Amino acid sequence: MAKIEERQYDNIVKHHNNSNSSFSPSSQSDFLSQLDQSLSYSIEKDIDYGYGKIDAIWHISLHPSLPSSKLGFIKIQSQEGKADQDWKDNQYSLRKIEEAIGRGIRSGCDKVFLVADNEEMAKSISGRIEWLSSFGSIVRFDTVSTGVSPNQQKRSTSIPSQERVPEGEKIRKEDIREREEKFEKYNRPKGERAESESDEKKLGREIKLDENNRPIGQKEYNV
Amino acid sequence: MIETLKASIIQLGKSILGIEVIENYDQCAGLIDVLWTFKPRSEALPDIRLGFVCLPIISTTADEDNYSESTINEIIIKSMMNLVDKLVIVVPSENMAKRISDSIESMSNSSFLQLRKYVTVLTSSTLVPKTDVLHARDKEEVIE
Repeated sequence: MAKIEERQYDNIVKHHNNSNSSFSPSSQSDFLSQLDQSLSYSIEKDIDYGYGKIDAIWHISLHPSLPSSKLGFIKIQSQEGKADQDWKDNQYSLRKIEEAIGRGIRSGCDKVFLVADNEEMAKSISGRIEWLSSFGSIVRFDTVSTGVSPNQQKRSTSIPSQERVPEGEKIRKEDIREREEKFEKYNRPKGERAESESDEKKLGREIKLDENNRPIGQKEYNV
Repeated sequence: MIETLKASIIQLGKSILGIEVIENYDQCAGLIDVLWTFKPRSEALPDIRLGFVCLPIISTTADEDNYSESTINEIIIKSMMNLVDKLVIVVPSENMAKRISDSIESMSNSSFLQLRKYVTVLTSSTLVPKTDVLHARDKEEVIE
């Protein structure tokens, strides 16, 4: 299924690049409406199902036997009444992002794309959604929603930390090594070390192991 | 108005055994007015979080029961992002509660999120019977 999605995405981008190689952030509405109808896409513009306005909805039919997908596009404006609170340091407020996602989901969209003025803002939106989703919410909102900008040529999904921080693997291995060294130090020795161990050391270790292997609450009762 | 609503929800939560009450709960996704955390006795079971968001009245002279869908959108997403297991939206009037419930119920059945199972809309009087709420004068007497 992922492959199908990727291919479709590539087709959209390819088609979009062919049909409109130079577009500016000002032509957001053009970006949302320029799609070839022959690719079994249909577009609804400025639609409101009762939960707030969606700027465009693409209905994409991948195959006659599959249900069509609804991709919603919501333009996020930087100039509104509460501009000071909603738009600072080239990023939108959380309130605005949450509201737009809610609007898209409640309108029945399978994916909600938040259209920002430029790529930097789109990345900021995607980053915020990913960060918030990483806390363990029941819905991974980053799989449903992403920030995009009209002049964007690359995918807006953030690079996973494993790729972004390649030394992460090294740190993990160091942790494992340290942990194993600790086990080696405090666990019961095996082989020759076990035979050469003094009775006093053995007794001390067994007491410590006994204390530390009890459930946390149990310790208090035994004191 | 919201402070009064919050106070009654906090009071009710504190009176129920096994519930921990948190005011202005926020996990970086926006403020939840009151959170009840039900802590099961077993460590193996997770806490159940019930979030309460009091809806402010949008004061218009013509219609007191006015509300905006964008506020509801925001409240739902922020409570999900804040790891709230069930959301209760507390509104000032029955009429408003019905309208918001209808709006949530009217969502498509084919949507991947069935919000009617996540959101409950109540008025403060339904949640906290008036007999349980102390008047200011009664409260002073209790303190004395």
